[in-house]
Amino acid sequence: MSSAKPQLFEQTSQYRHWRFTPTSLAQLRAANNKQGVERVLQGLREEAQVDNDRNTLETRISEATNNLLSPEEELELIDYYLQVTVAYARMYGKGAIFKPEALNNIKSTAVNFMKRFYLHNVVFDYPPKSIMLTCFYLATKVENSFIKIDDFVRPLNDVVDKNKKGVRTKNEDILDLEFVVIQSLQFELAAHHPYRPSYGLYLDMQAYIENNLLKEVYDRTQYYIDQSLFTDLIFYYQPPQIALEKNLDIDMYLTQRFEARSLELLYPILDDIQEVIANRINASVVDKKEVKERAALIDRKLILCRNPEKNPNSKLYRKKIADRDEAQYVSDSGSE
Amino acid sequence: MSVLHAAKKQDIPEFFSKDDTCPECRSERYLNQSMKLLVSPCYHELCEACVHRTFEAGPAPCPVCHRILRMNEYYQRIFEDLTVENEVRIRARMAMTYNKREGDFKSLKDYNDYLEMVEDLVVRQLYGDDTGEVEYVIEKYKRENNSLIEKNQSKQQREENLHSLYAKEERLRKQKQREEYLKLLEEEERERKDAKNSVIDALATSNKDAREIVRANAVKLKKSSLSHRNATRKAHMDIEALLRNATDDSDDDSMGQNEADAWMVDPEESPYEPMNIELRDKYEDIILRTRLSNLSGTGVTREMHQRYVIEGAMAGLFEPPLTDNSSGNKDAES
Repeated sequence: MSSAKPQLFEQTSQYRHWRFTPTSLAQLRAANNKQGVERVLQGLREEAQVDNDRNTLETRISEATNNLLSPEEELELIDYYLQVTVAYARMYGKGAIFKPEALNNIKSTAVNFMKRFYLHNVVFDYPPKSIMLTCFYLATKVENSFIKIDDFVRPLNDVVDKNKKGVRTKNEDILDLEFVVIQSLQFELAAHHPYRPSYGLYLDMQAYIENNLLKEVYDRTQYYIDQSLFTDLIFYYQPPQIALEKNLDIDMYLTQRFEARSLELLYPILDDIQEVIANRINASVVDKKEVKERAALIDRKLILCRNPEKNPNSKLYRKKIADRDEAQYVSDSGSE
Repeated sequence: MSVLHAAKKQDIPEFFSKDDTCPECRSERYLNQSMKLLVSPCYHELCEACVHRTFEAGPAPCPVCHRILRMNEYYQRIFEDLTVENEVRIRARMAMTYNKREGDFKSLKDYNDYLEMVEDLVVRQLYGDDTGEVEYVIEKYKRENNSLIEKNQSKQQREENLHSLYAKEERLRKQKQREEYLKLLEEEERERKDAKNSVIDALATSNKDAREIVRANAVKLKKSSLSHRNATRKAHMDIEALLRNATDDSDDDSMGQNEADAWMVDPEESPYEPMNIELRDKYEDIILRTRLSNLSGTGVTREMHQRYVIEGAMAGLFEPPLTDNSSGNKDAES
């Protein structure tokens, strides 16, 4: 299938920079985690120097070492917060804060950003709780549904106030991380999702399938794509491929629409996608409460092994800020 | 035209600021609108009245720096920066004497040497050469080249006269053009009014079908106004041609067809493989049915949107995933 000119989708940043194989992705995450762990220990040592307390250093380092998160645990935590993101998106959608047709795009862009962010960062430096909100806020901007920061934060705080549980979100919590997130995304903010292809396929299928079946097919596809958000499929395959769930109707459409030669290449891809999503659906049938508890457990471990260098509440962080400000002051006032 | 010349003729306005104050009598511009501050060669200002008063009886020291000056050494200010003012004055004075042109020299090198010599003298004057040597050199040069200087001066004068003559002619021509154009507009307006009146009369008096009358008149009007416009355009072109031959300047600013063509972009020349998707005539559109009206406001038609969406479904549909031994993407390892 070689053509003289390149295809347009080959120019998207998603195609050029954010495609992996399962092994390369796993390697990337493992290397990331390893580096992150080293930085945590280094940060703890530096903080001890600031504190000048040898004893706490020993205990803290041992605590941290015992509670370090493996790459799998990292993924679990991130996965939990991806689900929270989707739930939040639904909440915002219900509150009519942004247009309902933008809902799919915003939630999938936010999820995509978060997944990409944690390919180059670790939860030790940036806990997913804050990053999630920042990714979400960025996604509203990227998908042309900008919400003012006050309006964005209000529903979250309303929930906190109503249940008298949790911590209120401040504007700075989200805005301070914006640049870090964008930088980790290499400033490539255009994310492509399977939602538009699914609609295109819905239109295209009208020539081959009766209309009364189509609505059902379309709804199923939406559910299918929603589940794919919690997998790494978007890193391996193209959006239209994820929008094709293999069932009788779609098979009929495909065989009538495309040549057998091209379908030979396509069918293994579709099979693979289907398997991954089926696994995901099976896993998500598990009790919601159990999932939440497990995530809370990992979160508690994370508190012990967070990198003080990047933790705004730590002494080391505050010292570094003070040092940096002083250095700036000195260089501004002095002449050489 | 020299700058000082222009200034004397009041063509270039004098520089002044709101807060001008005479250092001697302390009168301000605020109190005396027409106060004129003159400037001495030593960069010090003095109002006109004070200049007269101080230098009535002959040379006197400058009130600020006590350098001996005469009344005629005070000039009207043109530039904000006094150093610039001074330099311009010096150069203007030099140009009256050193007025040779490139054509007067046998070679380019001679001309450049001459220019360098003049520049040298200017610089020496600028940086306060008070020994009078510069004056002596200038006087010597003047004496030696008297006839040439005079010849050049008269040549310059003649050129200036010619320029002003051209300018006057140009102004007259433009005015004439404008008058003609106004007259043309008037005539057109009158014609249009007459036509309208005639239509109304015809409608009122004749028995013919109303629509026919109006149509016939509209055609007539269009024809007449078109011919009129062509006639005037031709007349303009004749006048322009005449004038262009009369005066010397003829600037050709026709863009030509080439420039216009350069803006055209061939849509077939897209750098990307085109997607050949044929749309059906009608699609059942349950998802967008109620919201399609929003699209039309932005200039996006239903077909455009459908094509966009279906192309999205076909883009990369058969693209195989990366394999572990393929080149992959640049930052897979980073």
